[in-house]
Amino acid sequence: MEEYVISLEGIKGLLENLTREGFNIYAPSKNNDRFVKVKDIDEVALFPDRRPTDISAKECLFPKCEPVFYYKREKNNVEIVDIDPNGNKVLFGLKPCDAASFTIIHKVFNWDYKDKFYNKRFDNSLIIGLACTYLDDYCFCTSVGLSPVSTVGSDILLVRLSDVSFGVIVITDKGGQLVKRYPQLFEKGEPTKSKQVLDSIGGPARKFDHKKVKEWLDNNFETDFFNSIGDICVGCGQCTFVCPTCHCFDIVDEDYLYSEGRRMKNWDGCQFYLFTLHASGHNPRDTQYKRYRQRVNHKFKYYVDRFQEVLCTGCGRCSRGCPVSIDIGDIVSRISKLS
Amino acid sequence: MENIYKPYLMEIKEIIDETPDTRTLRLQFKSEEDKKRFSFKAGQFAEYSVFGEGECTFCIASPPTRMDFIECSFKQVGKVTNALRRLNVGDTVGFRGPYGNWFPVEEMRGKNIVFIAGGIGLAPVRSVILNVLDRRKEFRDITIIYGARTVSDLVYKRELEEWQSRNDIRTVVTVDPGGETPDWKGEIGFVPTIVERISPKGENAVSIICGPPIMIKFTLPIMMKLGFKEDNIITTLENRMKCGLGKCGRCNIGNIYVCKDGPVFSYSQLKGLPQEY
Amino acid sequence: MADIISIAKSIFENQKAEMIIGYAKATKEGRTRPVVVRTLDEVKELVLNSFCLNNLSTYLTRKENKGKRVAIVAKGCDIKAIVQLIAENQIRRENVYVVGVKCSGVRRGFEGHDSTKIAEKCITCNVKTPHLFDELVEMKGEELPGTDEKAESIVKLEQMTANERFAYWEEQFERCIKCYACRQICPLCYCERCIADKSMPRWIETSPTKRGNFAWNIVRAFHLSGRCIGCNECERVCPAGIPLSLINRKMAKVAKSEFGYESGMDPNAPTLIGTYDVKDKEDFIR
Repeated sequence: MEEYVISLEGIKGLLENLTREGFNIYAPSKNNDRFVKVKDIDEVALFPDRRPTDISAKECLFPKCEPVFYYKREKNNVEIVDIDPNGNKVLFGLKPCDAASFTIIHKVFNWDYKDKFYNKRFDNSLIIGLACTYLDDYCFCTSVGLSPVSTVGSDILLVRLSDVSFGVIVITDKGGQLVKRYPQLFEKGEPTKSKQVLDSIGGPARKFDHKKVKEWLDNNFETDFFNSIGDICVGCGQCTFVCPTCHCFDIVDEDYLYSEGRRMKNWDGCQFYLFTLHASGHNPRDTQYKRYRQRVNHKFKYYVDRFQEVLCTGCGRCSRGCPVSIDIGDIVSRISKLS
Repeated sequence: MENIYKPYLMEIKEIIDETPDTRTLRLQFKSEEDKKRFSFKAGQFAEYSVFGEGECTFCIASPPTRMDFIECSFKQVGKVTNALRRLNVGDTVGFRGPYGNWFPVEEMRGKNIVFIAGGIGLAPVRSVILNVLDRRKEFRDITIIYGARTVSDLVYKRELEEWQSRNDIRTVVTVDPGGETPDWKGEIGFVPTIVERISPKGENAVSIICGPPIMIKFTLPIMMKLGFKEDNIITTLENRMKCGLGKCGRCNIGNIYVCKDGPVFSYSQLKGLPQEY
Repeated sequence: MADIISIAKSIFENQKAEMIIGYAKATKEGRTRPVVVRTLDEVKELVLNSFCLNNLSTYLTRKENKGKRVAIVAKGCDIKAIVQLIAENQIRRENVYVVGVKCSGVRRGFEGHDSTKIAEKCITCNVKTPHLFDELVEMKGEELPGTDEKAESIVKLEQMTANERFAYWEEQFERCIKCYACRQICPLCYCERCIADKSMPRWIETSPTKRGNFAWNIVRAFHLSGRCIGCNECERVCPAGIPLSLINRKMAKVAKSEFGYESGMDPNAPTLIGTYDVKDKEDFIR
């Protein structure tokens, strides 16, 4: 892997150049609640020690709602107007737990049927990661095969060397081309320096073996383990909405007028009663503990069975934000000790 | 890249009211190109849509051997099925598919086949029945056992009569006790009871069973008693679906997606699944 | 006054309830979680401190808890919700055993909120000593700093023109992701079928677009008018950080100033929205 050094000014210059190339820059908002389109590049700041945004970066490539086509009706006839997501994006300052999420959900959007909406956005974006020095009780990236310095998902990864200087690790061809386009901004770096910083970043305290979690889930579908969670979970589903890897969605139509409208793809979540409710009134996941069991299984078993990836990056958002303090890291680490 | 959410446009060519609340639509591709491109196998399903209302999942009820029309049958229960019912001949609906797996028709060649269906569960079975009848010579004895709650709940009545009049298949139609009319000439009794009475042989035979869960639950032990192999008892599962493409995440039963790995399952596969359907 | 654990023990020993809904330690220091305790062995889990933010009365209307005799640990504000639920005939007084908390105020929130400050609802709280209970327990709290900034925001909103206010809420609702966490946590959102979930007809667009978000948030505000007891759980749980208390408190303010009604105070008082009164000032109803 090639390494460079870039100054803080250089980063701003890079973003300015990319803006000129036609990229929209997305970075954590001022109050750190989500990734927003940057209006003023001078406002972009790099905080490796800030906690993950409240809502993950997933919405940059998989928005909370998007039209999949428009339709027009006239008498008996319907005309469908196909659309393509356009616009090039730079996702800037993603923590490795956010960057990795795209590598993970890429699989579900690309097996057999390919979702062009996700894919086009993915293809047209550049992901600039930032090695993370934030740690709290909810983080557990190292337990799901990642780390605060993981390069998974990033095109280039920035490593903070000082307030004004950042190491640049080039990961993908896209990242390499970026460096080649603006050679004046990048100095050839000493790999040891970034490495020193990277080595000094420890992992989160919470540690468990996700293979053990799967092992137990493989053999324990009918279990009372989830009952006490079902007691208190209110089914608000915020965990699924803030999650960088939860990707379930709903498809609905929206009319503007009788004559035209659009079909939408909206976020949806497994914690809702309606999610699996049949038209007949039957509901296979009729109680909250079943819905919670589904979430844990989907992340640590089903997705692994199908895509060989854990559907979780250990970012801890779901637990930080849970209104009733359900802590998924605690739950799965307890599960890992059961098998 | 293709838009996987974009449906084909189809025109309603004919509307057939099967029962007071069940209707069959006979659809035709609006574009010749789409029609040529399209193919499917018996048992596969599709997403049907009314623009402005949304999409809805049903199996394709017509056989792949009759490609002039695509037929679907649906019960009026929710938002989209109500909207579908409001449409008239000549109106346009969206059609996305075919999705999912299919009945192992090729593997059924040279075997005896027993079709068992209840209520609107006959829709997916009809696709394979017609498919098999169109290729009658390739299969051995064919038995059809179909039941509904009442006489008026029987679907595909014209075809039932036609099947009953053929002497190269055996067709038994039954209604639940109390569901008969004074002039009812068929059987009276629940489907499992009738299956037991008719006792089709399990040897060299495949059985396709579709219907309400309670019917399937009580029919399965009888099939086992009759000597059917677990691999040769085939049914379909339904779960709520939205995308049909293995992405939207709601139709899974354990780690299998009904929309991708189903809807057709053998009894032996079924036994390995968690109770989540 | 006895502590929460001994109270809980005596509840089970004297068979006053079959389950106790209370607070337990969460996995992280400085955080609690709701817990349902069903046996004597489990009562040791219970805690009571200024991190006991949740309004547990939201569990009382759960299908699986209905008709059961349930004990609940409730602060004055939470008891307002219980009172309102009784007034609205959702639960029976005799089925709830209320362990009222003499409360000195809770913190503003967990992660992402400033937990060193006192919750805004506590500053103007008029039920620090509960107004309905079967038994009292004291929460040992400390003095927490904090001012009621939301009161100022409401005044600011009142001074805006309609267009300005619309623009303000447009910006706020833009962030809504339609997770309905506000509804799920709300003790008074007990409808078996929420209007947002009805599809025939579809009253509220499910998409988190401007139209859908406005429809949802405004309908919820109206539906809670004269009912919301101000526990502010919806605002606390909103992952998008929408200041829902501004709407709810404004509506409560109107209920008070226009109709002299304060929700959650008297279980026997007729409810504001649920009561027909010929003396109502609006004449369309007559």
